[in-house]
Amino acid sequence: MKEPKALILAKKEFTAFSNTPAFYGIAVFFTLFCSVWLFYVQRFFTMNIASLRPYFAVFPAAFILTVPMITMKSWAEERKLGSVELLLTLPFSEWDLTLGKFIASVSALVLLLALTLPVPFSLAGLGRFDAGVIAGEYCGALLLGASACALGLLLSCLSKNQAGAFLGSAAVLLFTMLINQFGAALDFPQPVAEGINFFSLAFHFESFSRGIIDTRDLAFFIISTVLFLFLNTRVILFRKWR
Amino acid sequence: MIEVENITKRYGGVEAVRDLSFSLGKEQVLGFLGPNGAGKTTVMKILTGYHFPTSGRAEVEGFSVTDDPVEVKKRVGYLPESVPLYGDMTVDEYLLFMAAARLVPAPERKRAVESSEAACGLVPMRGRLIETLSKGYKQRVGLAQAIIHDPPVLILDEPTSGLDPNQIIEIRSLIKELGRRKTVILSTHILQEVEAVCSRVLILNEGRIAAQGTSEEIAGTLKGGDTWELVLKAPAGTGDTAVKEKAARLVPGPEADIAEDGNERGIFRMNFFAPQPGEADGEAIFDWAVAEGLKILSMRRRKLSLEDIFVKLTGEDSVSNEGARDPVPEEKA
Repeated sequence: MKEPKALILAKKEFTAFSNTPAFYGIAVFFTLFCSVWLFYVQRFFTMNIASLRPYFAVFPAAFILTVPMITMKSWAEERKLGSVELLLTLPFSEWDLTLGKFIASVSALVLLLALTLPVPFSLAGLGRFDAGVIAGEYCGALLLGASACALGLLLSCLSKNQAGAFLGSAAVLLFTMLINQFGAALDFPQPVAEGINFFSLAFHFESFSRGIIDTRDLAFFIISTVLFLFLNTRVILFRKWR
Repeated sequence: MIEVENITKRYGGVEAVRDLSFSLGKEQVLGFLGPNGAGKTTVMKILTGYHFPTSGRAEVEGFSVTDDPVEVKKRVGYLPESVPLYGDMTVDEYLLFMAAARLVPAPERKRAVESSEAACGLVPMRGRLIETLSKGYKQRVGLAQAIIHDPPVLILDEPTSGLDPNQIIEIRSLIKELGRRKTVILSTHILQEVEAVCSRVLILNEGRIAAQGTSEEIAGTLKGGDTWELVLKAPAGTGDTAVKEKAARLVPGPEADIAEDGNERGIFRMNFFAPQPGEADGEAIFDWAVAEGLKILSMRRRKLSLEDIFVKLTGEDSVSNEGARDPVPEEKA
């Protein structure tokens, strides 16, 4: 059986992640941030409710920093080192390359999410948690993360260095995560608020964090991911004509 | 097999390559020669599918670089100028990844890595992290990844830069060896390398072909062109301009390059290039010197080397002398 080309690249990229101390730093930050939020800020034990909604509700905020940290290196570093020349002269299509980078980033994200699993498992004995809701919440976090990764990759492809890629992605993610809060706070008319909500990643995540898998939100995440990846391939292709 | 027809590449408003055409068959090593910015790297980037030409057609092994880039890339091994390596991988890891990425079937990858390591003299370094290697070894890792999938076409952008003389000889013989079975294009500004390795030479200047053929053929087109180096003693009190006037009577135009020797007064060094065989020979120079009242202290004729042709064609006076052979002087008179 022939190995898919994107996987060859993804494997190398993922190995690079696992060899980078910074990646472990990101993992520690992510798990600590979410746990501190749940146990100290939200005071999980005093709430006396068998629900992890506050835990998952903070994921979008944590992603604002962690996803750009994962994706910032991908293209920007290759461009800086000149190794992008090597990648682009491999017998890979633009989609193979983009998907390879994407799969590696999402795998890193899956690893981060896996590190949070001990929280629901260790709390499971304390009350009757709804396993279905928690599964839905993880599913939503993964979709949200995938969409954010695709966006981060696109911005990394557009920027010249890692710092620019990080700041750009963090700013865009911050904006798309918080934009629905504006809608609520400023009391826009209904159609405007709905329009704003449509572009908000956090808004689409909300139903997942309630444990509901809404096909509209599912479609939003999938379409936005594909769109960002598509734009990424176009940027690569466009550079050849530059 | 490489076919290039009328390609032009513009970067913004700058034309890096203008209307360039050439073709290259199997078992040939083509050397790209030219000053910096002549368009050597651009042509290579087009042939490897990294950049698309603005206009024109380029084919590698029968596949168009714009229509079938993936097929072209499968058949090309490329060593870019700034050898791009991943510093945090070991030589083995990196080459295994490159073997996979260049689509070597899984069971053959280990063998491919081993044979390219052996060919490039990397066996003692196989477990080392790439970032800890010296520049010469990094260059070899770059070369090893280019030949790992045994491609029919090799494109090497300055393959011997940064290597020490022994390594240069090794890599050159490796390239020569590869050239018996493959189509190889290499760029360099070391002229000796072209004479040593390449069966054909293409001299580029400002994105155009300034000359092409074997190095003997190129020399032949400027046949009889020799460089003369004279050391003359002028009578006391003769100024710079007076000597120049005298020189103009021997070689018209701006050909002669005259400089007064700083230490000894009245001693002038004069170099000039005689493109036509009859324009100047030893006897004529002697007669001229006598007629002008100059004394010849030394007179040397240098046979036209590729280096002179290069300087002549590209109009650059600062040619890299790195590794260049001393011109063999031919004494006369």
